[in-house]
Amino acid sequence: MKRTVPMMIAMIGGIIMMIQYFIPHQVSQDVFNYYTEWAPLVGSFALVLGVGSLTRVHIHKIRAKAPNWPYSYAVLIPLYLIPVFAFFLPASIGGGTGKPSVFDFMYSRVQIPIQATMFSMLAFYIASAAFRAFRAKSALATILLVTAIIVMLAQVPIGDLFGRWLPDTGLWILRFPNLAAKRAIELGVGFGMLATCLKIIFGVERGWLGGAGE
Amino acid sequence: MINWEKFLNIDRRWLYLLIAVVVIVPFFIRMGLPVVPSDEVRSIYNLVDSLGPDNAIFIGWDFDPGTEAENQPMGVAVLRHALDRHVPVFITAVSPLGQGLAEQGAASVFDTRIPGNFVYVPWAEWEPFRAAGYVGRDSLESAWKAAGNSLPEGARGWVFEGVDFALLGYLPYFGLVVLGMGTSIATQYPTDAYGNNLREMPMLRAHKNLREIDLAVTLAGSTACMYWVVYGTSRVGLPVAFGVTAVMATDYYPYIQSGQIVGMMGGLRGAAEYEVLEHEGGHTETTGKAYRGMDVQSLAHILIILFVILGNIAYFAGGFHKKTALKSGR
Repeated sequence: MKRTVPMMIAMIGGIIMMIQYFIPHQVSQDVFNYYTEWAPLVGSFALVLGVGSLTRVHIHKIRAKAPNWPYSYAVLIPLYLIPVFAFFLPASIGGGTGKPSVFDFMYSRVQIPIQATMFSMLAFYIASAAFRAFRAKSALATILLVTAIIVMLAQVPIGDLFGRWLPDTGLWILRFPNLAAKRAIELGVGFGMLATCLKIIFGVERGWLGGAGE
Repeated sequence: MINWEKFLNIDRRWLYLLIAVVVIVPFFIRMGLPVVPSDEVRSIYNLVDSLGPDNAIFIGWDFDPGTEAENQPMGVAVLRHALDRHVPVFITAVSPLGQGLAEQGAASVFDTRIPGNFVYVPWAEWEPFRAAGYVGRDSLESAWKAAGNSLPEGARGWVFEGVDFALLGYLPYFGLVVLGMGTSIATQYPTDAYGNNLREMPMLRAHKNLREIDLAVTLAGSTACMYWVVYGTSRVGLPVAFGVTAVMATDYYPYIQSGQIVGMMGGLRGAAEYEVLEHEGGHTETTGKAYRGMDVQSLAHILIILFVILGNIAYFAGGFHKKTALKSGR
């Protein structure tokens, strides 16, 4: 029962939405509109599950004193405290989502710089990797290396100082060999997705059901 | 005699230091290298430039702070260009963080302390004019001026919320949101991010769904940009342009060649190209952050290429290509 009902829902829903796409009728359009309004509502319940699951995992880590357990406090405290400040406390003590507020401070002064810093650190790791790992060990590796150097130079204005041939070559690489390879990959992925969707709709692929009922 | 093994095992902190230096120094010593716009960026610029007050565009702030350095200048440049052409702009976001970045981007365009910016008139502020029936852009601006309002020195014009600009903000399951907006924008966004009724806004009355929108520029650091193509272009024929990070740009050339997207800004270079076009077209007094960042990126690329070349010289000169493994360094 735990498997059959979800599979039936997926099958009926999938077939209806597939057929609906090809029927230019008001009824078909209404079905589509209902779906687009309902789906986010139903999906919102995933948030409750997500927060519940995250809380359970980190409480377990704290209780078990698992490795790096103090960091679990860094997850749980903001997870619950920021919504309290944002939605329940008055602006006079830093509540609300306006400026200034604790919510705005945490977003602008903590979250944005942290995320930007994490991404920026890539530059340092790439520099180190370029020196230590990017080797012309074989003919293919050499082609990759030369292509990478041309495209890197073509992407920045200093490349123009070597002459227009360099940016033009870089663009040619992106517009033709790169395009051909990407298209082949995209087609493969597209057909794979189509096959997987059909397998889910017709109940052949059941991994998405998880282990319930087994 | 050079000890190649020692050279290859150099403490990586020296490499980090060199990168830090080439990233910081160009901010103080400008090189002003010329940026030549590519066809991919020019096509976006030309399309926005051909639009006017009767058209409307979407700008999707579909990225998180991690890629802010590349994506934010693109959004600011396109927003500034559209507002200068009096093209109404709807702003959306795939993530809650994107909405905050969109607000920051818009705030930078509405900061009248900086010359060349716009004066933002919130929805509530021009309510009396709305009540008096001034909802067309020209008549509203004339009435606004007649009421004694004047532009600060250096400002390029007024931006009336609901006429020129609407921040719709973040909604979850954005693929479904784009699908839904194909039929009706207001059913997906009954109110804007500030709680104003969208159905009352003149720009929504003139553009009720994505079929009546002339362009969507999605700025993304992930595959979120694909929502607009899959659910917008293929379903309702929405023209879409991408502003993506440099590392992602290679993925989307097939979409340009097939005509599924109008054009693409790839990385900071793409943003800088748009800024240059905008400046040349007289829409801005100066180029922006992306153009300034090109000096930094130029030197960083040169340094990384230098690292690759030096690493390979040491690798082959030291005869390490004949050995199975190197001793690892720090």
